[in-house]
Amino acid sequence: MNKNHIIGVFDDEDTLMAALIEAKGKGFKIGEVYTPYPVHEVIEAMGHKTRFTLAAFIYGFLGAAGVLAFMYYTAVIDWPVNYGGKPTNAFPSFIVVTIVITILTVTLASLFTFSWRAKIYPGKAYILPDVRSTDDKFVLIFDKSELAKGEGNIESILRSKGAVEVYEKELEPQI
Amino acid sequence: MDNKITLTKGFQYVTFAMMAVGIVIIAYGFVADPTRAWANFLLNNYMFLSIAIGASFFIALQYISQSGWSAMFKRVPEAMMSYIPYAGILMLLLFFGMHSLYHWTHEDALATDPIIRHKSPYLNIPFFFIRMVIFFIAWVYMTRLIRNASLNEDKIGGRLFFEKSELYSKIFIFILAITFSFATFDWIMSIDVHWFSTLFSLKNFVAAFFHGTATVVLVVIMLHERGYYKELNKSHLLDFSRYIFMLSIVWGYFAFSQFMLIWYGNIPEETEYFAHRWNGGFKVVFYVNFFINWFLPFVLLLPQVLNKNIQVVKAVVILLIAGQYLDLYDQIFPGVMHHPVFGIIEIGFFVGFTGLFLLIFAKALTAAKLIPENHPYLDESLHHHLH
Repeated sequence: MNKNHIIGVFDDEDTLMAALIEAKGKGFKIGEVYTPYPVHEVIEAMGHKTRFTLAAFIYGFLGAAGVLAFMYYTAVIDWPVNYGGKPTNAFPSFIVVTIVITILTVTLASLFTFSWRAKIYPGKAYILPDVRSTDDKFVLIFDKSELAKGEGNIESILRSKGAVEVYEKELEPQI
Repeated sequence: MDNKITLTKGFQYVTFAMMAVGIVIIAYGFVADPTRAWANFLLNNYMFLSIAIGASFFIALQYISQSGWSAMFKRVPEAMMSYIPYAGILMLLLFFGMHSLYHWTHEDALATDPIIRHKSPYLNIPFFFIRMVIFFIAWVYMTRLIRNASLNEDKIGGRLFFEKSELYSKIFIFILAITFSFATFDWIMSIDVHWFSTLFSLKNFVAAFFHGTATVVLVVIMLHERGYYKELNKSHLLDFSRYIFMLSIVWGYFAFSQFMLIWYGNIPEETEYFAHRWNGGFKVVFYVNFFINWFLPFVLLLPQVLNKNIQVVKAVVILLIAGQYLDLYDQIFPGVMHHPVFGIIEIGFFVGFTGLFLLIFAKALTAAKLIPENHPYLDESLHHHLH
């Protein structure tokens, strides 16, 4: 068995954050972080920046423009019908439909974008390095092949920052 | 910087000067064109009252939701609430302008118009003022309770006053929901006595909350620029601009819902209201109203680059105060004046009322510590940080 990952297990958020910042400062590349609940500091400390809001805005803009164009085409150009003396381009009544369909477009498109970027899909085999991360433990993962870039011993860094357990393991997808 | 602002003589003289200019022009207005003067009187008094009511609702909401971030700013909306009793006294003066503003007070209209006669058990002058007095007593009493609890918290401390304030706030928003709805029906909607809209009160309530919050943000930013509220950081600013952004959407939602349903329903007695606002000069007001109150805040406060920029937020909230004036202009003037007017009388009224509001507001703001003490969430507010 090829033990290719180092796993650090922590009892709480503070020790995890201390170890994460220390390891990152020493030049280690952090593979993945598993927490029992969302910890915003982790995303900040890992230096990740999301452009998801921009994507959502573009979906919304395209969705709204598309729906308006579709309604204009059907109600004015392709099949104009006189409803109660209203102008065929009954713009105020288009707005409600536009809002609703825009929300739907943004929701679905964001869901698909997220699934695609995070490579999550129904029936995917999951990787769970330490089962206790679904319970109450905080888990830091390092790829052994990239450890050479950092200075010092990763195991002692993790232990000095309060890891309750550090071990090596091969990560394999589980069904 | 001291935790207490001193009311400078210079500021007081400025407000006195504004009031003096206002009084001269107001007097001229009542001589030259009483109808127009009463319309202005109602607009300005209601506008500053709605800002005070919106601020009081803002603070009640902070207590109920137990919001931490806003705790250090609570003196500003608290000081705004102090305008409510003055607005009450001024509103009672409407007694002398009833015939200019409200068609349903005319004897001949009552005799010949079945719709007005049908509404007369509710819309008659004695009951109108009885309701007005009840509304103001309720508002003044509840806002006093909240204010006193807040001042006592400074002196004595402990969680008791926070819990009390939360209870008062819960009662207050319940009372406000009912009384403010009827107040808008009475004072604004009954100008167009044949027309009715159940969304009207909700829209005006949201407008009060919206523009009250905008005024709170403006005051906080101006104090920050003058060296107070040093702790104001990007996270507070983001929360404030999110508040404005959210309220602009809610305002747009209600304003548009009211318009769209009536436009779509196309029933003559309902469309008459908007037909009046779509013809002649009021059409511009109608569109600019949506532009300032919904489109501009929505677009300007959407990108993160802009909504954390203090100058952008400041510009938006200043525009929104003009937006509240425009919104009320669109509701009051077509029914009273029938054609758009804007001139020295409108400006004079606005200047005079602004001076009065500023003086009362500044007196209340300087009467207590700017940043409250002993508030349970004060530390969270001072070190507010969003991720």
